[in-house]
Amino acid sequence: MSATNPTAVQPRLVKAGVESEFPVGKMIIVELERREIGVIRLRNGELRAILNRCPHKGAPVCRGLLGGTWLPSTQPGQLEYARDGEVLVCPWHGFEFDLLTGAELYWTPPSRLRTFPVVVLDGDVLIGL
Amino acid sequence: MDLPITSSAVSANHSYDLIDCDVHPLMQGGMPSIYPYMTDSWRRRFERKRASPAEMPMRYRHPNGSVPREDARPPNGGVAGSDPAFMIADLLDRQGVDLALLNCLTSLAIAGGQASVEESVVLASAANDYYLSEWLPRDPRFRFAMTVPSQDPLACAAEIRRIGGHKQIVAVSVPPLDILMGNRYWWPVYEAAEEAGLAIYTHVAGAASVYISGPRQGPGVPNSYTDRYLSQPLMAEAAVISLVFSGTLAKFPRLNFIFAEFGFLWLLPLLWRMDRVWRGLRHDVPWVTRSPIEYVNGQIYFGTQPLDEPANPDDLEKFLALLGGDQLLFCTDYPHWDNDMPGTTLRMLPAETQRKVFAGNAVRALRL
Repeated sequence: MSATNPTAVQPRLVKAGVESEFPVGKMIIVELERREIGVIRLRNGELRAILNRCPHKGAPVCRGLLGGTWLPSTQPGQLEYARDGEVLVCPWHGFEFDLLTGAELYWTPPSRLRTFPVVVLDGDVLIGL
Repeated sequence: MDLPITSSAVSANHSYDLIDCDVHPLMQGGMPSIYPYMTDSWRRRFERKRASPAEMPMRYRHPNGSVPREDARPPNGGVAGSDPAFMIADLLDRQGVDLALLNCLTSLAIAGGQASVEESVVLASAANDYYLSEWLPRDPRFRFAMTVPSQDPLACAAEIRRIGGHKQIVAVSVPPLDILMGNRYWWPVYEAAEEAGLAIYTHVAGAASVYISGPRQGPGVPNSYTDRYLSQPLMAEAAVISLVFSGTLAKFPRLNFIFAEFGFLWLLPLLWRMDRVWRGLRHDVPWVTRSPIEYVNGQIYFGTQPLDEPANPDDLEKFLALLGGDQLLFCTDYPHWDNDMPGTTLRMLPAETQRKVFAGNAVRALRL
C-alpha cells in the first residue's frame, strides 16, 4: 500500500492463498499474522474472510456448520429450509450468522462476526488486515 | 337448562381497584348439589355408585387436617367456601374485592381424571350449571372460570360454546392432565376459548403426582404434602416452556393464559434461559418467530399467590423491578390456608405497579 500518508488507517493486504484454493462452500482457515481467519467462497462467487472467533464467547466459529437455516414459519410443524450455503452456525452455542453480512440471524440487536475485506489480484486472494 | 346469556346485574366499563383472580367456592351440598343439573339416568348412575370426589392419599393430606381455613367456616358450620352469602360478606365486602374469579377445585377434580371420560363430560356441565344458577346470580361481583372435561378436548370446546357467552364467565379452567399445555391435543379447547374471548386458566386440581392421568410435577414421587406443595411450580415451568416452544402461543395470538397458585418468582430465570436457548436453537422451532420473553409477556399471566417472603421484604421489590409487574394478577386463594389477603400483600410496591397487579392486569388478561 502507499506509504505517502502514514497516519491514514489503511488495511494491509496479506496473501491468504491462490484463488483455486478456495472452492465454493468450503471454509478454509488460514493463519495470518497470528490471527486465524476463515475464508469462504459463497455460491454467488464472492469471498468472505472472517475472524475465527465468535463474538458471543470466543468459540472458533469458522469450524462450525455451514449450510442454510429454517426460516421463521407461521404454523407449528411448518418447515422451510433456505439460504443454503449462506449461514454459519457457531459450534458452541449455535448462534447463526449471515455470511453475506456477518450479522447474527434473527436476534435484535444482532451480534456481528469480525470480517475483513477480501480482494483477488492476479489470482491471489488477499485479505485486508 | 336455560341459561341467561346476559345478566343485567353485570355492567360494563367499570373501573376496578381490587380484582381477586383465585377464589375457591365449593358445592354447598357436595356432589348431590349438581344432580339437578343432569338427566335422571346420569343422576341414578352416580347415586348408585356412591360417586364422590376422591380424598387425597394419606401422605398428601394437609398436615393440619384441612386445606380450607377453619376460621372461614360459614355460620351454618359447613366447609369454608361452601356458602355464597358468607363468602360475599367475609371476602368481597370485608376485603373490598370489586371482582372475584370463582374457580371450583371440586369441579376440576371430577371433570379431570377422577371420572371416566363420559362421566366427566356430564359432571363438568352439571357443575358449571350449578354455579351459573346458584352462585353467579347472588352477586354481580362474581366472575366464573368455567370447568371443562379435559379428557375430551372436543367436549371441552362444545362446553365453551354452550355457556362461554355468559357475561360472568371470563375464563376456562382446564383440569391439568399429563399432557403438556402446548401439546396440540389442547388446540380444540384453545380455539373455542379464543373464539369466545375467554382466558385459559390453569390451577392445581388434586391429580398431580397422584393419578396416572394427572400431571407429573417433576421427577419422582413427592414424599409429603410439603414436598408436593413445593414442587407445584415445576409443573408450571414445564407448561410455560411447552406453550412457547410448541408454537401454541403463536398459533393462538389472541388467547391469554393464567397460571394460578404456582407463584411467580421462578419466572425470571426461566425467561432468561428460554431467550438464550432460543437464540441458539431457533431453527429447531422456527414457528417461534420472536423472543420467548415477548410471547410470555404478551399472553401469559401469573397469580401472585402463594407469595414468597424473603427475609428482607425489599428484596421482593427489587425482584419485581427486574421482572416487571405487567404479568401479575393478585390472587387471595380464599378460603385456603395459604391465602394472601390484599392488605398485607405486595403493598411495598410503587403505587403504579400496585394498580396493575391488583386490577389493571386482570382487566387485560380477562378482557373485563
